[in-house]
Amino acid sequence: MHKINRTTRSLRRLTLWLLAASPLLTACSKDPDLVVYVSLDMEFSAPLIAEFEAETGLKVRAEYDTEASKTVGLVRRIVEEAKNPRCDVFWNNEIAQTVNLAHLGHLTPYDSPVAADIPAEFRDPDRRWTGFGARARILIVNTELVPDPSEIDSMWDLLDPKWRGQACIARPLTGTTLTHAAALYLALGNERAEEYLGAIAKGQHLEPPVVNVASSNGQTARLVREGVLAFGWTDTDDFAVAKATGAPVIAVYPDQKPGPGGEPPLGTLLIPNTVCIPKGAPHLESAKRFVDWVLSRKMEERLAFSKSAQIPVRPDVPRPDSVRSDFVHMQISYVALGQQIANRTQRMQAMFLDQ
Amino acid sequence: MPTPRPALGVALAVLVLFGILPLAMMSTRLGVDPSALGLLGEPRILDLLGRTLLLGLGVVGLCLLLGVPFGYWIARTNVPGAGLWGALVWVPLCLPPLIMGMSWIEVWPHVRGAPMTIWILGLSYFPLVAAFVAKAARRVDRRQIDAAGTVGGWSAQWRMEWSLIAPAAFFGATLAFVFAINDFAVPDYVSSVGSKFNVYADEVFATWQAGQKDSRAIATALPLIAMTLGALWIALKLRRGGSLQSVGSGFQAPARMDLGPWRWLVLGGLLLILTASVFLPVGRLFYEAGLPVPIQAQTAVGQPPAAMIRPPWTLGHTWEAFQTALERCRDNLRASILLAFAAATVALPVAFLLAHAAARSRRGKWILFGSLLPLAAPAILFGIGQIVVWNHPLTQSFYTGDGLVIGMLLGRYLAFPVMALTSAIENLSPRLEEAAALVGTSPMQRMGRIVAPAVLPALAGSWTLVFVFAMRELDAAILVPAANKTVMFRLYNAVHFYRQDYVAALALVTLFVILIPGLLWTLFARRKMEVLT
Repeated sequence: MHKINRTTRSLRRLTLWLLAASPLLTACSKDPDLVVYVSLDMEFSAPLIAEFEAETGLKVRAEYDTEASKTVGLVRRIVEEAKNPRCDVFWNNEIAQTVNLAHLGHLTPYDSPVAADIPAEFRDPDRRWTGFGARARILIVNTELVPDPSEIDSMWDLLDPKWRGQACIARPLTGTTLTHAAALYLALGNERAEEYLGAIAKGQHLEPPVVNVASSNGQTARLVREGVLAFGWTDTDDFAVAKATGAPVIAVYPDQKPGPGGEPPLGTLLIPNTVCIPKGAPHLESAKRFVDWVLSRKMEERLAFSKSAQIPVRPDVPRPDSVRSDFVHMQISYVALGQQIANRTQRMQAMFLDQ
Repeated sequence: MPTPRPALGVALAVLVLFGILPLAMMSTRLGVDPSALGLLGEPRILDLLGRTLLLGLGVVGLCLLLGVPFGYWIARTNVPGAGLWGALVWVPLCLPPLIMGMSWIEVWPHVRGAPMTIWILGLSYFPLVAAFVAKAARRVDRRQIDAAGTVGGWSAQWRMEWSLIAPAAFFGATLAFVFAINDFAVPDYVSSVGSKFNVYADEVFATWQAGQKDSRAIATALPLIAMTLGALWIALKLRRGGSLQSVGSGFQAPARMDLGPWRWLVLGGLLLILTASVFLPVGRLFYEAGLPVPIQAQTAVGQPPAAMIRPPWTLGHTWEAFQTALERCRDNLRASILLAFAAATVALPVAFLLAHAAARSRRGKWILFGSLLPLAAPAILFGIGQIVVWNHPLTQSFYTGDGLVIGMLLGRYLAFPVMALTSAIENLSPRLEEAAALVGTSPMQRMGRIVAPAVLPALAGSWTLVFVFAMRELDAAILVPAANKTVMFRLYNAVHFYRQDYVAALALVTLFVILIPGLLWTLFARRKMEVLT
């Protein structure tokens, strides 16, 4: 009995102590000078944001997305927090969701003076967002499995029966693959885009599938890098990381040739980073300062020389030889793309989650 | 014996604020557009639900196949090292299933789709079956075993034992079902090559993209919530069945069966299962931690660059990888440990009070149901609900601070300690509390002096479960501001970059941290930890 009493007393003391300590652990956060939501991979963006802090003396609270959640986490938060905004700047590593946010009325205009030399196609006419440092949607090709890479030069090669079961695309439900799928509707028209994506979707359950449907662009690059698959759609940053491992891979910028009837080439899709200020941002002046900093020529150059090898959208910004920009871009309106993304998501769900 | 009312009120308030209110707020959005429910009748949705159900049943089958013999062997036979294998069997539950999937894809690259998904999720969750079977097998009365054996030999003995162990096995399998049907990362990952295997959880996640109707997203989540709640309800019914119910005062523990030379074969079986579920994934992580990144071979000036070469595995590099992981992610590890520690610690008194009320009051079922609800909701829905409840000017500091992370973890995982402690308190005779009441002790004194010491192993098990799941949490955490700094967040970000050495080392360090509470209890406590039953 004496022992039980002692145990009980110790237990009570421990519980009380822990309960008393808990509020200390739950201490509320200190207010930063700037809150930035960043979907550019943390490995790349965290050191840059630390630099901004050092340069300006501002205390930045950066919050990131994960690769798995793509931009769904941060975009959703901006939408949900709209009644009581806390995000000052959204640095998105793609464009469709940013345009969608503008379309839904969640962004505030800011005409950054630094962005004056950024080409008009990468700037919102109403100045609610600005694009910079882009990634291209390329085909990563394993040169050991495709000894003559010139055989692959078009998006339609994925559907060539010759390559059945050896090509790959990430499932177009999130991220840049969703953006890419939506862009195809604009570039090809509904009928041909449906034909292309429908063939992939319908064939995904066959064995072997018409085109393998991977979990992400990173996974696509990895499968090709490791020689499991011959080629697949991915982003230039994923290609750069795969290439850095020494794998026998090359990047093919697809659809550079005119069509059989002399039509202009479809081109390769460019997906720029975008930066924007959500409506009601609590630290507006600091937010503008950050936007100016991110949109600077210096930053585009930094991103081009970084491991993610982003393509500067300003033609005269220096870049390494490995960062190509001498290719035909897919001609689409990013504004239209972003406005359609919600509907396209539903269509992709219906096509790709069909059973 | 009633639960102390003011304290119970506080505990209920915590459950409502962090568990139920976020879901209630989200459900009001469905009310705006009830027509959204119409989409649930679409053939595509029904197909997805059907295959998700089949996936869950497949995982249940595999968990039973692996877990029943495993649990029985370690509990009832003289197989060498039974105690050690019984402790190791918890490791797969601490590993994120995706990491298990990455390992197995390397071993069986040609097995993909549904079979591989079932294999991975089965390996990840069979410990739930094994542990409960082991516990149930230890609680079969020796006299019953002897009687059955005398009457009908070995087969009659097994039939009798199985009838008592089966509820425990199915209880564990039902929990495995819950985890399996809510997972979308593993099916997506393992069917990246070959025939694609889509599940319903994919549909739920995809509908939360901005611009889509909230009512549609919430309606989409309802079937998964219903399936999960249904399974948890079955689990609650099973947890008190067979030999999991309280043992009588004259209980005689069963003797371990002497297998003779067969014990080596049984040992081989145990090691095979552990190799598949523990040694292989952990070994692969260890191997990857020691593989340096490729380097560029040096060439003469003017020559084209040489191919990259990958230096061989070394123990020295393994050590470096661990150092890098700790250097880069020390703060993330610290944050995760503190948050999980705080969530588990706050969960304990809250769950203790709720469980006492659940076990002793007529409305106990509703308390259990209320605590299960947050666990049944898709993580993304639960996370958005937290934003809706807490993002207001008055609660801004709390919203952006650690408090909300702890509250979110608490709300989501309170179901586990409530289930565990309810079961433990139900096993405790109310007469003890009545006797204490007669000598004038207050309700709080009875809780502290009579009930808590008697359910100490269940309290320890509950704390550990919340700690483990809090450390592993990612999906709901992506929506809560301060959860951005957790180690899981960092780990899943780093996986993307092929820095397999430091990522693997970080995964191992995280696994070790998750296992520490269980290890400490095993090493220093004299009583077995009780988890969930």
